Amino acid sequence: MEVDRIDLLLERYLHLLHEYTTLREQLSTLQTGMYQNIARANFAAERGMRFGQDFYDERMQASRKLAITPAGGNDDDNNQEHIPVPVFAIAVAGSTEPEVSEKGAATASTTTDDGIRDEEGGKEEEEETREPSPNKKERRNDDPLRWFGLLTPMPLRQAQAQSIQAVEQVIPKLVSVNAQMAQVEIEVRRARKKRAKAEAAAIKQEQGVGAGAEITA
Amino acid sequence: MASHADYKDRQFLAVIGDEVMSRTPPDSQKNFLVVDNKTETSAIEAAFESFTTQRKDIGIVLINQHIADKIRHRIDTYTSAFPTILEIPSKEHPYDPEKDSVLRRVRRLFGE
Repeated sequence: MEVDRIDLLLERYLHLLHEYTTLREQLSTLQTGMYQNIARANFAAERGMRFGQDFYDERMQASRKLAITPAGGNDDDNNQEHIPVPVFAIAVAGSTEPEVSEKGAATASTTTDDGIRDEEGGKEEEEETREPSPNKKERRNDDPLRWFGLLTPMPLRQAQAQSIQAVEQVIPKLVSVNAQMAQVEIEVRRARKKRAKAEAAAIKQEQGVGAGAEITA
Repeated sequence: MASHADYKDRQFLAVIGDEVMSRTPPDSQKNFLVVDNKTETSAIEAAFESFTTQRKDIGIVLINQHIADKIRHRIDTYTSAFPTILEIPSKEHPYDPEKDSVLRRVRRLFGE
């Protein structure tokens, strides 16, 4: 029955692989768009200004936070040893923690983290206008887009929106799928080992029976 | 599964990448390294070591694939569950499935 189990595992693995390649394509598309938009913004910029590291704010804080939760193993039926496969998710640091803003600005500034590129912010702004919160003003100032001046060009905003999408949606899924794939790989190897052992035992038994037959003959 | 125990503290992404990929640090510690053609490989390795081994608050390390190539031996021998490493394309270096460590694992599983 080990063979069936290996087949099942491999089938699951191929589904995960498909998901992985699809996500990879999404990420590539987003990143291509992002780079094009940054190039466009730089092309149209005044007096040779370049949107880059020179404008980074040294006081920058993370505005996206990562949350890792162990899923209850995989839903595989006859899986005896459940090893929790981590699931990765990204949340906007400020909006998910309203209690932080109530505790005070000081705590808010230490707990807000960010995993965000320099070209992100347009989307954040939209989110803020949709749901106004007490720390609205603080977060607005944290927007990395502000590093490049008040009137940031549209392509730069678009690039930011694209990289937010990559960070919030594609990247956590990619690493989660990767973790699941790694888990299935372990299970496949285990099942193969078991099968090899069973085969070896069967051969031994056969040989034993054969030898026994010879002796009696 | 000791490595699973500390996942809750891993709230940050770290980045080793070219300029447009840079991200922001928590408090005073930077969680990114901006790599250009003047950056020494030893500096990349040091950042990788810091993000993966020394710091316990990093959950994902994003690294541009062409930069990962420079420390390929480190990437390939890295086996911890956390932080997880994700190689991503950069502006001048599109995604190359041949070099993708995940797809290399796939090939290994299918016995190539």
